Amino acid sequence: MTEGKKLSLGLAALLIAAAITAGHAGEAELSAEAVKCLQCHEKKGSSFRFQDGDSVPTHVSAAKYRLSVHSALTCSQCHTDFLADAHPSRRFKNKDQYRMRASAVCRGCHTAEQIKAKSIHTNLLLREKEGISSICTDCHEAHSVIPVAGGKIVKSETQYCMSCHQHEMSMTCRNGEKIHLTVGMSISDGNAHDKLRCSDCHYGFSSEEHPKRNFRSRRDYTIASSETCRRCHFDKYTKTLDSVHYTILSQGNLNAPVCNDCHGSHAIPHITRGIKGRTITTQKCRKCHPGVYAVYAKSVHGSALFNEQNQDVPVCIDCHTAHNIDNPLTLEYHEKIPQMCGNCHANPAVVSKYGLSTGVLNAYLSDFHGVTLGLYRKQREQLYKPARPIAVCTDCHGTHNITSAASSDPVAVKANLVKRCQKCHKDANENFPDAWLSHYKPSLTKYPMIFLVNTAYKIFIPLMGLGFLLQIFLHIWRYAVNR
Amino acid sequence: MGTGKIKMRRFSGYRILEHWGIILTSVVLFATGLCQRFWYVDSAQWFILKMGGVDTVRLIHRYAGIMFSFELILHVAVAIGGVLRGRWGPSMLIKKEDLQDAVHNIRYYFGLEERQARCDRYDYMEKFEYWTILVGGFLMMGTGAVLWLPTVFTRFLPGEVIPAAKALHSNEALLIFLINAIWHIYNAIFSPEAFPLDTTIFTGHISRERMLREHPVELARIEGVEVDELLGNGLNEAGSLKPGVEPGTP
Repeated sequence: MTEGKKLSLGLAALLIAAAITAGHAGEAELSAEAVKCLQCHEKKGSSFRFQDGDSVPTHVSAAKYRLSVHSALTCSQCHTDFLADAHPSRRFKNKDQYRMRASAVCRGCHTAEQIKAKSIHTNLLLREKEGISSICTDCHEAHSVIPVAGGKIVKSETQYCMSCHQHEMSMTCRNGEKIHLTVGMSISDGNAHDKLRCSDCHYGFSSEEHPKRNFRSRRDYTIASSETCRRCHFDKYTKTLDSVHYTILSQGNLNAPVCNDCHGSHAIPHITRGIKGRTITTQKCRKCHPGVYAVYAKSVHGSALFNEQNQDVPVCIDCHTAHNIDNPLTLEYHEKIPQMCGNCHANPAVVSKYGLSTGVLNAYLSDFHGVTLGLYRKQREQLYKPARPIAVCTDCHGTHNITSAASSDPVAVKANLVKRCQKCHKDANENFPDAWLSHYKPSLTKYPMIFLVNTAYKIFIPLMGLGFLLQIFLHIWRYAVNR
Repeated sequence: MGTGKIKMRRFSGYRILEHWGIILTSVVLFATGLCQRFWYVDSAQWFILKMGGVDTVRLIHRYAGIMFSFELILHVAVAIGGVLRGRWGPSMLIKKEDLQDAVHNIRYYFGLEERQARCDRYDYMEKFEYWTILVGGFLMMGTGAVLWLPTVFTRFLPGEVIPAAKALHSNEALLIFLINAIWHIYNAIFSPEAFPLDTTIFTGHISRERMLREHPVELARIEGVEVDELLGNGLNEAGSLKPGVEPGTP
């Protein structure tokens, strides 16, 4: 080997050795004291008991300690009471007391000024001012603490966040309201979002970023948080923009519901399509519409839902939809009502088991009001001509207070009908509602007079038509023969 | 209508005007009425929208109905008044001769008679048309009024009269429409004797030749002779054809 080659080989070896030592920050040799302590403490099986019966294992992983940022320290630099040969016995009431004491040690090196530099600690420091101690090892681990920037402190992001947010904490809004930031540990078990991480919704937060936000009020916070849902549920979000709830929200009524109000925030359950799910939705609407709920609960639909767990009856969202809720007082909504009721009441699969006729929709649509409704709709769509509201199902049957026609007192029904007819036909009297054939097709038993008139003409007109044609034919024939 | 044909006056100017009036109101009534009855047909919906919506169509129909009612009542008043004042006879009344003429003509079509029936001013077909439309017209008036003012009529009638009126009004309208469209238009336009158009009601004149063929009884009365004499040598005393005369000659 030449001189030059020997030199370069030696240099390379030196460089490699330096790299190895430099690369493993802290994988230096442990101090003699640490080695001594680890002789016992590396063994598994022993633990330190507290007065309340709880215990903490005394095992320290040497490998992890070697990798940690504190590996250069000796044990007694933190465990100040202890030396390799001096091991005082101490008594603690519970684990928390022990950990608080331990955390106080960290503050010997890591001053409040240093900690304040990282905004994630802001609330911790605020709580300390109120007298609540922070426990550093909730987040940072004790012996295997590695640089935070590595992001490998905890197994999962949820665990990382929960290490603070499992505790009692809150933030104050500008108007003085407090928002509790405690999240129950079972937030996601078996729930719709249990596969998500905290930052999937709490966008902008991470182990490195924890911006301090200043909300005007709790309601503002809730409304702002609902914007997050848009990221995954864009279709539903855009639907809500068309709803009457969004309209009143954007007009300044902050009580209008947003996503969180109905769906919750952390414990969002899976959508249940069965009877339980249907009943639950009514409870949501009840929060803001208690009067309507009370009326609905007494109606034939509501009482079947709540008392008999009937799946066939409509709940709030069947007529009003869940996300793009239309203003039900508009003409457009009004015109959709017969089809809406018809979805069930003209569907034999739904109503035939209740002894209800499915011909009711067609009976309405082929009569004066139904025909006019269809034409008004076309007029509005094609001629942009405003229409008058015309009687639809709900005008006679009611909306939330629908009662069964069979079980209602006929005199009361009649009296109600006259009042309803008078809304448009101002001088109607008690004879007038009889003009409506109550969805019946005239037959020999029901409204025979009309049935007979129709039948007579059904016979007479074709007969006459045939007669004419015969006469014409004969006339032409004879005329042709004559020529 | 060439030269050499004698023209006779059949209808006065008043009648011509009356007929024009009834044509116009009927067309409007049929158009606005049938599109309501057959609302589910696409062209009916197109028509309704073109007219500006169903409320407009109803309005036009009702006011045309008022016009029609006025014309109808006026006609009846004038007819009765004229009869009472002796200006004309009750020529539209149905007599037993009309039934005989009807039977006679059916037999004629089947070749069982040699010539057509001899009719008066209005033959049985015209009378039939007149009466069905007159009675039908009054029915339309009545039921139309009930449909226009349902709350007024239900003050003293039961509520079922309204759907009953609707059934009657709708069906009767269809009947009159068919009578007019098939029967009347055939007789006035497409019948071989009238083709291309029977202009009598528009001009007021009819040729003597047609009078002789279609209304010989009236012609005889006007000219003050017997019907048989009028019809000339074609017939013997029994009223049968003389030998050598071609059938079909009046």
